Amino acid sequence: MDMNQYLSMFIDESNDHLQSLNENMLLLEGSPNDLSIVQVIFRSAHTLKGMAATMGFEDLAALTHQMENVLDLVRNEKLAMQDFIFDTLFKGLDALESMVQDITEGGDGKADVSAIVSSLQAIVRGEDLSAKPVSADEAQASVSGANTAIQLDEFQYSVLNQSIADGHRVLYLDVYIRETCQLKAVRAYMVFDLLERSGEVIKSSPSAQDIEQEKFDHSFSLYYITLKDPAELQQQILNVSEIDKVTVMELDQESLQQMSELGSASQQAAAAVEAPVKAEADEKKPQVPVQEQHASQQAPAAKSPAKTGGAAPSRTIRVDIERLDVLMNLFSELLIDRVRLEQLASEVQNHALTETVEHMSRVSSDLQDIVMKLRMVPVDTVFNRFPRMIRDLAKSLDKKVDLIITGAETELDRTVIDEIGDPLVHLLRNAVDHGIEPIADRISAGKPETGTVHLRAFHSGNHVFIEIEEDGRGIYRDKILKTALKKGVVTEEQAAGMSDEEVNQLLFAPGFSTAEKISDVSGRGVGLDVVKAKITSLGGQVTIYSTPGKGTNFSVQLPLTLSIIAAMLVKMGSEKYAIPLSSIVETGIIRKEQIRTVHGNKMVEFRGQHIPLISLSRIFNIKDFDEREEAETEIIVIHKGERLAALAIDEFIGQNEIVLKGLGKYLPPIKGISGATILGDGQVALILDPNVFIK
Amino acid sequence: MGEEIKVIVFKLGSEEYGIEVDKVQTIERMLPITRVPKTYSFVRGVINLRGVVIPVIDLRGRFGLEDTEYTDQTRIIIVAVNEMEVGFIVDSANDVIDLHTDRIETPPEVVGGIKAKYLDGVAKIGDDRLLIMLNLSEVLNKNEIIQLESLEE
Repeated sequence: MDMNQYLSMFIDESNDHLQSLNENMLLLEGSPNDLSIVQVIFRSAHTLKGMAATMGFEDLAALTHQMENVLDLVRNEKLAMQDFIFDTLFKGLDALESMVQDITEGGDGKADVSAIVSSLQAIVRGEDLSAKPVSADEAQASVSGANTAIQLDEFQYSVLNQSIADGHRVLYLDVYIRETCQLKAVRAYMVFDLLERSGEVIKSSPSAQDIEQEKFDHSFSLYYITLKDPAELQQQILNVSEIDKVTVMELDQESLQQMSELGSASQQAAAAVEAPVKAEADEKKPQVPVQEQHASQQAPAAKSPAKTGGAAPSRTIRVDIERLDVLMNLFSELLIDRVRLEQLASEVQNHALTETVEHMSRVSSDLQDIVMKLRMVPVDTVFNRFPRMIRDLAKSLDKKVDLIITGAETELDRTVIDEIGDPLVHLLRNAVDHGIEPIADRISAGKPETGTVHLRAFHSGNHVFIEIEEDGRGIYRDKILKTALKKGVVTEEQAAGMSDEEVNQLLFAPGFSTAEKISDVSGRGVGLDVVKAKITSLGGQVTIYSTPGKGTNFSVQLPLTLSIIAAMLVKMGSEKYAIPLSSIVETGIIRKEQIRTVHGNKMVEFRGQHIPLISLSRIFNIKDFDEREEAETEIIVIHKGERLAALAIDEFIGQNEIVLKGLGKYLPPIKGISGATILGDGQVALILDPNVFIK
Repeated sequence: MGEEIKVIVFKLGSEEYGIEVDKVQTIERMLPITRVPKTYSFVRGVINLRGVVIPVIDLRGRFGLEDTEYTDQTRIIIVAVNEMEVGFIVDSANDVIDLHTDRIETPPEVVGGIKAKYLDGVAKIGDDRLLIMLNLSEVLNKNEIIQLESLEE
């Protein structure tokens, strides 16, 4: 069968499952006794195994199978989760991820996983040694006709208990097959088949699977719920050929409890020798209604925000990203025509036409919203790998760190999402490595030994903010300045006059690193300046807020989208330019005599302060406009952070939504111009990058 | 050896030049050009070609020939080389011919004022027509431009 057509589906789904495995493993690490999480993990692993086997990725399937074995034991409370088990499972997940990665890149997904497989097997064996005697005991006991109870898990117990309360009959059956029987699995199957016709088998010993594979002696026991009369049932079973003997015992709540305690006791007696059996296993047995238990288990888990909400099936389809890009491009064209139509309609002054065009404008702006939304991706797609990363990082640095993510559902344009991952990784690593102090330091500073890193995302206006805040050591002004001076990033004089914010920004200066010790995590001094450059290239900003001794907050401000922006169109003589609205403070008109010259620089007064007046016409060599010849000049006040400047322009055209386009690959980057857009009349207008004009 | 290729023929002044047809995307009449400041002197600006912004360069300026007025005959040839799309402004473009590569000869040092490195060769077509084949990647080579510009300063 040709599997290629399924390959991309397989890769997508594998990644989903791996992600869910990772998330749930982390959840489980937080509350190791929550079996409902184990169930989820088990299901994911199981599906993954099935898919990998179907696609012929045997190593992948084999490794998943081993992990599943361990999980199965945990699920059935035969094994309590411990640190080393978590570590081994995480290693397994890493190996799975790299295999899937390999497959994604066209490889065959083969990898040497024998080390992990054998340590997983060791975990399973460690339990097997203790588990086997139980079944052996049972088998022997069964043969001798003794009444050894089957180990019931909580869920099965509560089902049985509930059935009794509902008036069903709960039966405990021992079935003995004639020793000379050749096909005992078949006979057993016939018994099961018979039973399932009029009731439900809750649990059997050995398990149904083992029975199917003839992995039992000559008898098996089971718990069974039915409405039938026990005597009648017994007779029916005896009617199956080669069945020697059937004992049927009807249970009430009391005897059920005794039976199950007997079961767990017998198992514990055997297990106590070597296996770390869950201590609470016994406590959980008493007749606590199942709902209550679930509630109490979920309560601690609920505090982590990315809980099971994500597990709910969402009604989505997968769409190739390229198609969305095509859609976006087509829509841009439409937007250009819309502007053109609006212009024409206002020239023609035809009522019906104007009305139609207005309606079309409304529809197209709704359409624009939707197209933009289609490209929006929740930041969770970037955030979801961070909990794991922080966990590993904290372990390797011997620190205790809680990562608290909020606002993972906040959406950003895909183009931004694609680019923001690495800078965030860097900032997070930085926070854990340089921000959070070692445990000893934290204790002596009177802080809780576990450090907290908050990763927040939220909308504000036309921007999305992503904040990384830790409660670590904070930034000390003196320390930064000392390093900056030493590395020649600033001079003494500059340093003295710097505001705290400016000092903090020094962290982003190229070749700057404050960590005294260079660790392998971060701090080779090549980091933060790259982060800043990347974020700036995305049209964003980074701000640092820090309180010495209390912690630091890196706040990253990002534009919602990179493809359509609101801009002010202006005329400079015969040329037209677009200025992003996000950097405009306000517009105004100044008279010639208001322009002053300070040190040869032109300044104008704006709201009580003097700001530089920048001549676009001179910077861009515009031939048919010069503001010096005007008695009154229109200005646009732009800002970069706190700093302001005024651009002298010829004429305002108006505000518009513009579609960002590149200038083509041939042209080198031009200072002051960030791109181009196509206006309603089909002409190209250049988009200014006002940040460049403010030094 | 060699093979038959199709060549777009265009004119700069009295000289005839050729570009292989598969490197040419379209040939357009003059379009409104938006000037781009602070860039190479021979870059006339950018045009909107059906929604795509494409830089256009004046081939006369690129080869250091004197400027002329644009006329009805002036064309923009859009070429795509090394994933770059660029428009060339030429005096006229009105011929496509078949040319056998065997007929292309190594060019002399300077042809029509153009340095040999921009040329793939010269082909004689007909009795007295000389076709100069352009080496597009060299024409669009930016490293060389930067050296050129820095020398001028």
